[in-house]
Amino acid sequence: MHKLLARQLAKAAKASGEVDLQALLALVAAAYEQSDADRQRTDRSMSLMIGELEQLNHGLDQLVRERTAELREREFELQAQNLRFDAALENMPQGLCMFDRNERLIVCNERYGEMYGLSPVQTKPGVTLRSILEARVQRGYHPDEPGLYVENILAKVRNSQPYYTEYPMSDGRIFAIHHRPMAGGGWVAIHQNITAQKQAETQIAFMARHDGLTGLTNRSVLLEKMEEALARLRRHGSPFTVFMLDLDLFKIVNDSLGHPVGDELLKVVAARLLACTRETDTVARLGGDEFAILATADDNQQGAAIATANRLLAAISTPFDLDGNVINVGTSIGIVLAPTHGANVEQLIKNADLALYKAKAEGRDSYRFFERSMGLEAITRRTHQSELRNALTNGEFVLHYHPIVDVYTREPASIEALIRWMHPQRGMISPLEFIPLAEETGLINPIGEWVLRKACADAAEWPANVKVSVNLSAVQFRRLCPLDNFRNVLDETGLPAERLELEITETVLLQGNEENVETLHQLRAMGISIVLDDFGTGYSSLSYLRMFPFDKIKIDRSFVHELAKNEHSASIVSAVAGLGRNLRIGTVAEGVETEDQLVLVRAAGCTHAQGYLFGKPCPVAELNFRRLGQRKQKSKVA
Amino acid sequence: MRVTQFSWSENAGWAAPSSNGTDSDLVFFFGNRQVLACGARYHELRAKFPHAHIVGCSTGGQIRNDDVTDDEIAAVALNFDATTLRVACEPASAADRSRACGEAIGRALAAPGLAGVFVLSDGLNVNGSELVAGIASVTGENVSITGGLAGDGADFHETLVSANCVPRKHLVAGVGFYGPAIRIGHGSAGGWDEFGPRRCITKSRGNVLFEFDGEPALDLYERYLGEDEAKGLPGSGLLFPLRIFDPERPQHDIVRTILAVDREARSMTFAGDVPQDWTAQLMRGHFDRLAAGAAQAARQAVDGLGEAHSGDSVAILVSCIGRRLLMGQHTADELEATSAEFGPRIPQLGFYSYGEISPHRVSGVCELHNQTMTVTTIAESAGGPRA
Repeated sequence: MHKLLARQLAKAAKASGEVDLQALLALVAAAYEQSDADRQRTDRSMSLMIGELEQLNHGLDQLVRERTAELREREFELQAQNLRFDAALENMPQGLCMFDRNERLIVCNERYGEMYGLSPVQTKPGVTLRSILEARVQRGYHPDEPGLYVENILAKVRNSQPYYTEYPMSDGRIFAIHHRPMAGGGWVAIHQNITAQKQAETQIAFMARHDGLTGLTNRSVLLEKMEEALARLRRHGSPFTVFMLDLDLFKIVNDSLGHPVGDELLKVVAARLLACTRETDTVARLGGDEFAILATADDNQQGAAIATANRLLAAISTPFDLDGNVINVGTSIGIVLAPTHGANVEQLIKNADLALYKAKAEGRDSYRFFERSMGLEAITRRTHQSELRNALTNGEFVLHYHPIVDVYTREPASIEALIRWMHPQRGMISPLEFIPLAEETGLINPIGEWVLRKACADAAEWPANVKVSVNLSAVQFRRLCPLDNFRNVLDETGLPAERLELEITETVLLQGNEENVETLHQLRAMGISIVLDDFGTGYSSLSYLRMFPFDKIKIDRSFVHELAKNEHSASIVSAVAGLGRNLRIGTVAEGVETEDQLVLVRAAGCTHAQGYLFGKPCPVAELNFRRLGQRKQKSKVA
Repeated sequence: MRVTQFSWSENAGWAAPSSNGTDSDLVFFFGNRQVLACGARYHELRAKFPHAHIVGCSTGGQIRNDDVTDDEIAAVALNFDATTLRVACEPASAADRSRACGEAIGRALAAPGLAGVFVLSDGLNVNGSELVAGIASVTGENVSITGGLAGDGADFHETLVSANCVPRKHLVAGVGFYGPAIRIGHGSAGGWDEFGPRRCITKSRGNVLFEFDGEPALDLYERYLGEDEAKGLPGSGLLFPLRIFDPERPQHDIVRTILAVDREARSMTFAGDVPQDWTAQLMRGHFDRLAAGAAQAARQAVDGLGEAHSGDSVAILVSCIGRRLLMGQHTADELEATSAEFGPRIPQLGFYSYGEISPHRVSGVCELHNQTMTVTTIAESAGGPRA
């Protein structure tokens, strides 16, 4: 019997044992009702649950779709980011590697592998640092013991500290390694090839101490070496000698043949200087065409210095053949002996310069030892410079005039203006003494301008058929802006351009040829006459006649003085006179002092003459225009 | 220990115990509210057992062996050899004072040698979770707390508790067992099956539940109960207990039973806390599995008694009224299942309650449970006479 029915029967039993049927039926009915209710409840629950689950499912599907889309988008983004990362990693010029805490490679870029010649297999993720280092050792990329190399690097890495190291490889490359530990173990390292940078640094360091063109040491290194030599001198008594060199006529070569040739010349000069000196000597280029040599000395310091100086002179005076150009330069040398000529660097340099200046002043292509008097001369020169500067302000200059006359009529055709300096203490000083100084200091320009202006002003008072002749040096020509200047002076003084002659020497044509020739043409177009002075003394006198149509040429006095004694000189003078005739330009014989010379000059065919025969240079007030006596009064143009 | 089981019915009165009641130390009695309310039954018990602690409560049905009755009183008298007892009681003035009430009970019972506490609590005016937490905060984690919340049939109107006094409402009683001889086993199991989707408790306050997933919780219950059974709320709500757990600790789940509903606020009050943001899932019962759950609880309690003990043992069953409501005439199935576990040597009695108190099967923390069969077994190990 079903246990529930048994229970129901027991519950429905009366005390007598008889079953209360009604009670039993009630219990049974209740049981059926409960069962029905339970079943209905179950059905309803199931339906509701299914409905809810379906809804949830639908919601989940939707969520999954959305999340999938999100994930896909994120995946794309991640892929794009990875591509960017890869691109960055593979395009960076440095090698990069990342290791985990177990010293296994996580990632590296191709560059890293290339730097060390490692194959993709050797650099795949998961390989150990040790295996990579051993691969490098096998390829020979280690400067020291292979065993040590691997262990040293491992020890460094295991130190877990950031570091930077520069590593010279056995093949000459230099790598810089930046090592950075990561939080949680592992590290990132950047490997960079700094070979070029190191070479540049070496180069820069070299250039900081050496001249870029010649490779010789530079001024600052020379001074350092001199300090060291002085220290040795003080400690051990070891003497030394300093030679200061300046190339003669380098500027002319540079200007005429161009800077590339000039540079080549300097390089060959440097080589020759090195060949004349010992390895222990210091050869320096100070700049331009200036050089210096510091040489240790032994017992016969002066004798050794002379021998060296002669070697140097011989070496530099030997012609240079540069690309078919045969060039001749010389050198002037100033020599100081330490300790005799100085106890410190400044003094030695200054004294060497003074000695060099002396060598140059006394004819060049020679050497001079320093003498105490040079110091005085320098002082004198400085004094003269300052006096010269003041001379213009103080009106200490005067012009003396020297006529140039027709050889037959002795009529003055033009009068040359010559500057004199009336020094308040020293009296009259010749231009030979102060003009070089003026050119050196740049005072030549204001002085030259004063000369031009004064000469034109004076000449404006002279008879109309007499020209004034003004000397123009190469320095003045270079620095002047001739046209404007001449125009202004002529306008201000009222002198017609046709009455002005400019005497120039060949050096004006040597420098900046085409430009200067063009200027000369423009001056001539204004009406000014151009005269070639000192004809016959330069290198290429004839070629200058081809360059420009001069109005007159002045034959140097040296030829005139030898007219009587030297047949060659007479022939030359005749030839030049003839040349002038054919070119229809006047010829002036300079330095005519006697009647005989005048006869010869006439006979030779010169058109004009200048010299003491016709009077010495004199102030304007003493000029005597005998034949034409009356001064033409011209109103001056303000 | 000696155990004497007896009962009362209107027809037969007290079936007198065979032994002399003056020896008894503790008497448990369970009956329906209407029978206990007048107090006469208590006085009768007091007369029979002048020296015993008399503790009892109203129920949703009394358990006497394999049977469940509504109108009788089920009782048991216990005579201990070596165990001392203490009984404490505390008024349950309001649900939000439940913790303080529990702490007071705990303080009254805490003493050296305290081995276990058996609690009978008011079933409607108490937050069972807080009550048990309050007791445990004083007695400590090594003292088991078992017992249950008094019932009132399916009426949910008023419950009564007696602690050496006439049964009255709004009272909590605790019995402390002291000494090394006492052995207390416990077991608690449900047998309910969770079903349907998991829901988030999106709004609640203490033991009052407002919303699942933003929807009024009462709407969900009415839908599942159907129109007819929904009218029977809160009682019919026992047909769908609620399994709740902290999403961070899914193993530590608790089953909750409805105590009351507020149709206007669309809220439901449970016998214990239903914390906000916890996960909830409806449950449903199947007779066989519920019976199997009861058997499991009985097995746990028997195992918990441990080594052999001297004298008699007794099993006090506190089973949830929800189980009786669902099983109806099949309720006896679970009592037969527990009885089978106890065998003829361990008599069982108890009641259908509004909540059960027992250590959690996984964590061991004493808590309020619902919809469970909770079993407390009591025995003494072999020992000397009472001190």
